[in-house]
Amino acid sequence: MLSVTRRLFLAGTAISLAGLPKLTLAEAPKRGGVLRMSVDQAASVIHPMLARVNPEYLVTELLYSNLTRLKPDMTVEPDLAISWEPNATLTEWTFKLRSGVTFHDGSPLTADDVVATINAILDPKTASPGRTNVGPIKEVAAVDPVTVKFTLTGAYADLPVALTYLNARIVPAKLIAGDLASLSTTANGTGPFKLAAYEPDRRIVVERNPAYYDPARPYLDRIELLVYPDRTAEASAMISGEIDLLLTTTPGEYERLVKADGVNALRSPSGQFLNINLGCDQKPFNDVRVRQALALAVDREATVGFVAGGYGTPGNDTPLSSAYHFYKNIPLKKPDIAKAKKLLADAGYPNGIDLTLVASDKPSTRTQLGVAVREMAAAAGFRINVQTMPHATYLDQVWKKGNFYVGFYNMQPTADAIFNLLYTSNAAWNETRWNNADFDALINAARVETDEAKRTALYAKAQDMMNADVPSVISAFFDLLAAQRSYVDGYVLHPRGSVFRLDMVSLGAAAPKRA
Amino acid sequence: MTELFIRLMRKPQGFVGVVLLALIAAACLFGPALAPYAPEKIDFLGRFRAPGWQNWLGADQFGRDILSRLMVGARSTVPLAFIATFVGSAAGAIIGVGSAYLGGRTDEAIMRTNDAVLAIPGLLMALLLVSTLGNGAGNAVIAIAVAFAPGMARVTRSAALNVRNQDYVKAAIARGEGAPWIIFREMLPNVMAPIVIESTIRVSFAIMLFATLSFLGVGAQPPASEWGLMVADARQYMHQAPWGLIAPSAAIALTAVAFNLLGDGLRDALNPKDER
Amino acid sequence: MTLAWFARRLMLTLYTVIVVSMLVFAITQILPADAAQSLLGENATPDALAALRAKLGLGDPAWLQYSRWARHVFTGDFGISMRTSLPVGPEMLAALSRSLLLTVSAILVTLAVAVPLGVVAALRQGRLTDTGVSLIAYLGVSLPEFVTATLLALLLADTLHWLPATGYVSPLEDFGGGIRHLALPVLTVSVILVAHVMRMMRSETLDVLKSDYIRAARLKGLPERTVLFRHALRNALLPVITIIALDVGYLLGGVIVIEEIFAIPGIGRALMIAITTRDLPSIQAGALIMAATYAVTNTFADMAYAFLDRRIRYD
Repeated sequence: MLSVTRRLFLAGTAISLAGLPKLTLAEAPKRGGVLRMSVDQAASVIHPMLARVNPEYLVTELLYSNLTRLKPDMTVEPDLAISWEPNATLTEWTFKLRSGVTFHDGSPLTADDVVATINAILDPKTASPGRTNVGPIKEVAAVDPVTVKFTLTGAYADLPVALTYLNARIVPAKLIAGDLASLSTTANGTGPFKLAAYEPDRRIVVERNPAYYDPARPYLDRIELLVYPDRTAEASAMISGEIDLLLTTTPGEYERLVKADGVNALRSPSGQFLNINLGCDQKPFNDVRVRQALALAVDREATVGFVAGGYGTPGNDTPLSSAYHFYKNIPLKKPDIAKAKKLLADAGYPNGIDLTLVASDKPSTRTQLGVAVREMAAAAGFRINVQTMPHATYLDQVWKKGNFYVGFYNMQPTADAIFNLLYTSNAAWNETRWNNADFDALINAARVETDEAKRTALYAKAQDMMNADVPSVISAFFDLLAAQRSYVDGYVLHPRGSVFRLDMVSLGAAAPKRA
Repeated sequence: MTELFIRLMRKPQGFVGVVLLALIAAACLFGPALAPYAPEKIDFLGRFRAPGWQNWLGADQFGRDILSRLMVGARSTVPLAFIATFVGSAAGAIIGVGSAYLGGRTDEAIMRTNDAVLAIPGLLMALLLVSTLGNGAGNAVIAIAVAFAPGMARVTRSAALNVRNQDYVKAAIARGEGAPWIIFREMLPNVMAPIVIESTIRVSFAIMLFATLSFLGVGAQPPASEWGLMVADARQYMHQAPWGLIAPSAAIALTAVAFNLLGDGLRDALNPKDER
Repeated sequence: MTLAWFARRLMLTLYTVIVVSMLVFAITQILPADAAQSLLGENATPDALAALRAKLGLGDPAWLQYSRWARHVFTGDFGISMRTSLPVGPEMLAALSRSLLLTVSAILVTLAVAVPLGVVAALRQGRLTDTGVSLIAYLGVSLPEFVTATLLALLLADTLHWLPATGYVSPLEDFGGGIRHLALPVLTVSVILVAHVMRMMRSETLDVLKSDYIRAARLKGLPERTVLFRHALRNALLPVITIIALDVGYLLGGVIVIEEIFAIPGIGRALMIAITTRDLPSIQAGALIMAATYAVTNTFADMAYAFLDRRIRYD
């Protein structure tokens, strides 16, 4: 039996905050203006269910809405849904929708659109990344035009958070029934902006949606997204004032941006990490001593320095950073070469071991980590050969199949999400094939646990287990780095890395007038 | 041969070219032995150190000594460019001379097809081939050799056409010598001069093409100390540590200049009549 | 220029285009990463992959895929980009127009700079000006374009703030802005071209100045200025046309790097993206367009050469 306060908490009492702009300024934000934003790769896909990289998430966030949204502190707030409530066993959730919302073409949003969207995402034929990430949904139905009921396959406390997933943006039911593929080149959503121009490799232009459900926002008239493939040139463009906001940058350029006049360099710790995946079902990594030896050979602080340029936090072989809610502060593993050598010898490799580490070329930090680890582990007897390959080949031949490669993951909204994505036995991307039943039990128990203290204890044990058993070596978490001109107001760098909220952004008085 | 060398050294271009190349060859041969540090040794505290007594040319983002990397990297950069040019020239020479020998329609057909392949820009051809074969220095060598072959074929053919009409070739044909014998014994040796000159200059293109492929991420792979890769890596830190960019760029430029000078010098030495 | 001559050139261009398309097709067929996997990415189920492969006809034999593609191209249909689902033809041609803007500007700048420099160096042969100019030319061809681009951007944009470092503005929308944004890329491309053309100009001018033809003109008592401009220059310019035509090949390759650094959405960048994402229709279309441009440019160059040559001979 849930306590009343707990139920209220879960039922999203953020109703009072619905629709209120987050004012961080002394005066009301200025309306109007054109924002120029740079991205590092083309948004090839503007289909919300198929978006895969940050620029694509950005575009679909401008054009569409989810049921719920993530705040910078990783808690949930309403978007298209104004309230939600679970049943006593957390196996059914009922969401109440906002009324009076219309799509860009004027047609009204109803519960049918939500149902159709969720079903399309869950359909394997759509090949949406959201399929396994929106939660354990068995079925979804429209109770009335403004009420949607989700029936889950099991108890799940985090459904509102799961529905913030970047591909779970609501799309008109008639498009799903008709020509879903048209969303690759056109857009029809309920978002704060409408698509004005789409030249994928060059620029994308969106204009304010006058029918957006929040009359106060967005503040901007227009946003232009421009592609800058070269980071150095992109930073130069920010410094010279050609662009107003920069999506993401590298530590090298960040140093430049910090010193530049008129530029605010932005930085936020996040749960983004590189992991070195060890195939736990084959030699040599099926022997836990080899894995532990590698973990002891790596100097984690040094990794933060080399690979994140100092802009990061050290990792302890679990995927949770301090930005996650259930993070446990385990003492950081210090490098111990002697012990690593001994562990290797005990495992049967007294003269060291030869290994090939695969790193795709996107992002380039994968290779940098590979090189750093290669040097560090050499002292312990690991003779590592770093093999780079194009990202497409890596996805085709190595990802989820290889024995020893570098993976790269954004922060997920919840601990459950990241554990279930990568480390449980039936994880969607079970790269390490660790298949540890005890670990699975802990995660499954925590997933349905509503008592905060018990949940914390369960996740703490899970983290200890990963720290000791090392299915993958995680030595650093990256801070997110970006930059803006000082006249840009209201932009918050979200730790999730793929939430942008440009509808909250406005331009100050110093902004240049652009046509 | 010695008189060729003497003629070469008499001209300023030849002289400077030979001296520079001797230096570079020394770096290739003795670089690893003479380098002050191991090229891949990372030094956390020495990251971005400015040039000074510890690191004569400074250190990069991993704290690796740039001078050592340059000296060891000579081995990855220059011989590979050399091999790529050699293979490409050899292939091109055979096609060109063969085509000139065969003459007539066959010659035209071969050359038209050759020119068609030449219509694909060299960098594009190399990129396509490296995407197919896979990243890495070895495949980049193959790609560059293939990209160079058509150009060399053309140069060789024009030179060979001249030779074909000479009396000694006509005499060999009259004697009934076989085609391969004529091509390899009579024609090739006499077209050597233009081939060698063109090839020498092409080595500098090969070095730059190699560096460009590394810049685009498909040539040499980290942690190799290939010069082009060093430049590509150093670009993002160029505002903090410009020495990381300047040193390998200067090395590339110097080597390219050296081969250019040598080529010019050879052209003058092999054609003493043309006093320019 | 007879009709027969034009017809021959047309056939040659066609032949070139066909050979190139076959070659590029053959190479792309061996590309290791499967296009379907690249398109659908991490989340593709095996069924989805199989369905997409069937839809794209990836399982058919190579010759069948090629003839299917060739048939479509003949009717002007370059196919749909596997990556963006937009038609390839219009995108590539738009990209080409922007690259042409860049390359043509570079050629004009080169002519304006390199020709006078070459002549001056020839006239002052052996002296300081000559050596100085030659030295700069050597340096220009000894640095890869991405290094030249970086150094020029560092100097002119980041340090002196004279020019914007990157980006593309269409001159049709904003002429002044367009020119300013093109300045750095055009400068970078011109560096190597200027070096080539200048050296050629210098050596040709030297040759011509020594020729009997010029000696005769001088003996006739013509003023030096007339000798130089009317006779020497015209003869020396001929090989320059050849050099530029040959350099178009280098230019088309060089734009790949330049457009990557300066964020210009031209055909070089389009090809780069197509190759890294294994977007086969775009790769084929892009390579074809580059080869065709090269062939057409060479035809024009030959025309110009023949035209100038005839005029000079009759002069």
